[in-house]
Amino acid sequence: MAHVARGPPELLAGMTTLTVSSAADLRDRVREASSRGTPLRIVGAGTWLDAGRPVRGVESLSTQGLSGIVDYVPGDLTLTAGAGTSLAEIRREAGKHNQWLALDPHGSDDGTLGATIATASAGPLATAFGTPRDLVLGVEFVTGTGNIARGGGRVVKNVAGFDLTRLMTGAWGTLGVITEATVRLHACPQVDETIGVSMAGDADSLDRTRQLLRRLAFTPYACEALNGAFADTVVGRDEPIALFRLAGNLESVAAQRTALLELGQPFDVSADAWSRLRTAESSGAIVFRLSRRPSEIGATWAEANRIVDGIPGAVLHATLTRGVVRCIVPNAGDSAARLGAALAGGESKRIGERMPEALWTSAFPSRAMTGIPARLKAAFDPRGVLNHGIFGASI
Amino acid sequence: MAAPVSTPTLAAPSPIDQSLADRLALIVGARRVLYRPSELLTYTADALPSYFKKPALAVFPGTREEVIAVVRELAARGVPFVPRGAGTGLSGGALADGIVLVGLNRLTRVISIDADNMLATVEPGVVNVALSRAVATYGLHYAPDPSSQAACTIGGNVAENAGGPHCLKYGVTTNHILALEVILPDGEIVTLGSTEGENDGYDLVGTFVGSEGCFGIALSITVRLSRNPEGVRTLLADFMSIDAAAQTVSAIVATGIIPAALEMIDQATIRAVESSIYAAGYPTDAAAALLIELDGAIAGLEHDVETVATYCRANGARTVRIARDEVERTKLWQGRKKAFGAMGRVSSHLVVQDAVVPRTKLPEVLAKIHDIGQVNRVKVCNVFHAGDGNLHPNIAYNAADADETARVHVAMKEIMTLCVDAGGTITGEHGVGLDKLPYMDLIFSAESLEAMCTLREVFDPERRSNPGKVVPVHACREWHMSPAARPSSSPA
Repeated sequence: MAHVARGPPELLAGMTTLTVSSAADLRDRVREASSRGTPLRIVGAGTWLDAGRPVRGVESLSTQGLSGIVDYVPGDLTLTAGAGTSLAEIRREAGKHNQWLALDPHGSDDGTLGATIATASAGPLATAFGTPRDLVLGVEFVTGTGNIARGGGRVVKNVAGFDLTRLMTGAWGTLGVITEATVRLHACPQVDETIGVSMAGDADSLDRTRQLLRRLAFTPYACEALNGAFADTVVGRDEPIALFRLAGNLESVAAQRTALLELGQPFDVSADAWSRLRTAESSGAIVFRLSRRPSEIGATWAEANRIVDGIPGAVLHATLTRGVVRCIVPNAGDSAARLGAALAGGESKRIGERMPEALWTSAFPSRAMTGIPARLKAAFDPRGVLNHGIFGASI
Repeated sequence: MAAPVSTPTLAAPSPIDQSLADRLALIVGARRVLYRPSELLTYTADALPSYFKKPALAVFPGTREEVIAVVRELAARGVPFVPRGAGTGLSGGALADGIVLVGLNRLTRVISIDADNMLATVEPGVVNVALSRAVATYGLHYAPDPSSQAACTIGGNVAENAGGPHCLKYGVTTNHILALEVILPDGEIVTLGSTEGENDGYDLVGTFVGSEGCFGIALSITVRLSRNPEGVRTLLADFMSIDAAAQTVSAIVATGIIPAALEMIDQATIRAVESSIYAAGYPTDAAAALLIELDGAIAGLEHDVETVATYCRANGARTVRIARDEVERTKLWQGRKKAFGAMGRVSSHLVVQDAVVPRTKLPEVLAKIHDIGQVNRVKVCNVFHAGDGNLHPNIAYNAADADETARVHVAMKEIMTLCVDAGGTITGEHGVGLDKLPYMDLIFSAESLEAMCTLREVFDPERRSNPGKVVPVHACREWHMSPAARPSSSPA
């Protein structure tokens, strides 16, 4: 079966899509591409093709044929699956045993495990569970030289050999193509509730909320501040809110609710608010993040507001305890041009997620990679065939 | 033997000789360069009493600048070296065989603490427990807690990706390191990770942590701190069979409650502990005991304690004792943390093994370990991180008895093979060092080992930093290390 990638089709226009049915198959494709010097665009489900810098691929290499759960022993709370396995399938299978993979990257659960790990994508749950690097136990991958290598393993604790697993996590497929991964699962909590609290929405209100969280004896599963426009989309209230996901046993969640009363009277929110939050942006939207230390979240929020000021439809949300503000801006009218100017300078670190090429060039100028990153690329993909350019000029 | 020696077998471009010793003495002071055999004795072993390697000389820089100058001097001369923290490692990883040992235990400065953001930046020689003490006034601590935490250093923890009992809930070292300033073996200084906002780009921190001193020396380390829990409850459940204790581990984990720690101590270990000064009041007739700790917000904690106690009883626990106060809690933990020390009473030597198996395989694997001990007529004690499936089978023996020593090594090899066959790994927290080198082929293909060699060469193209450790020499193509720098991997 040919795997047709979704997402903006123009990104794969003119490319032949290579499909594979095994790691060995994928290795052969990479070897061929390497010997011919043909740049490859690595594709999972194709739901996030516009994430990262544009790739000058000639052929796209799909991991969707590497789909399916390879090994799952519920008692071990570990699951091994092919890179092309969707997060939805993992959710379904783990759910049968009252377990889950505590990763909720932006985008839908149609996304694949391989792409989630390769891009180190994390969502609101990172507040409590960290990012893919904290949940991935092992990976199998094909290097740019066409070797099949494994790092880590299938057990929850492992220091055997150098950490190839974390080398691959977040490398955006530029050092190797992940073919299989083992992840740590968690047992579902007894209670898992979501509440919202309206907030002023200014820098000060975010600071106060974060300070409260810092003082409390518990960590919520998630805590996001949403500007009014985004709250309207996610919970149907056109006012800035803080959204909390509280979990644990009955008594613990009751106490968490009580502790948060300091912020104001909460309202109950249905759990699907989180999937709305993850999937709110339209394909083709401009998305980027600002980050600093968590204690500066108010200032970072204010800076993000200044950047998107006056751009219609711009929405913001902040992961309070991680110091990250994420900005989603419809790519319409002159918004890209305005952002190009507004993103210049500033205090916070800027990380681009997806945007038109011109904005990448103007707002996130690619520096020539040097030092260890450049040496890693040269060592693991000497012919530069894997996702060339997705990270920056030489990578 | 006159020293410093110009090692004739060391085919380095510039030998380790008097001129190097003199030059290093100019950097760190003459007292901080050791080369007499008597002075070097301490540095011929780590905490695993199976390997002895003599460094040609040992140098102890006291400041960041001195470390930089030392590494650059060694680089200029092409001299291989081994970084070393407190020497509490359990894999022979910090031994220098005829090369230079760089001791980092004098770099003990806590550089900065950012309590609000729960971060601290420290020098590599800061002792693990000293860091927790330094941040205690802010209600914070550093979570990874190896049993050697009273002596081991954060730099050593980074090198080994150290674990500890509380890593079940809080994660191992790599989950707690945000940024590193590293001097590469060629003298270049690089910053890995980020202390100001998200890291983007390759996860170089994750790549460096656990590299066992082969990628360079951390000059400063920024760690994530953890809140001290509002409440802590410690339980001791004892069982009349190991199998019942192992089943209980799985049952507890399946509840969704993540204990802060979930440790198993078998009868042989209990008896060793109870006959030592670390006697903790463990019942000596039990086949095994579980030491379980729950922590977090007080609300809901008691409910979790009850749930865990119920599962213990339902799975055959004879008694479940809950520590009433901090004194009792400390005592229960003392027995666990000093178990290895207590075994010193049993015999003169102890091999500590470190393997991981899937949690559900614990009952089967523990039964087979028992059989292996019987067949080889050696006494295997088990005290380990059961919640992680991280086994520490220990064998106490007399190294002067050649026959017993041989049987110990056969048993250890059989245990490792057993754990690998069960889907596990050869080390969960002690590292590969020298000790696990022979087992790397059991779990990694030639291509995987080659990828590790490739990674090492990105950081250390000359392979001068801790040569011959972690990845078996034969796995690396074009390996040109001299015989002197290559470890002889047979245990003493």
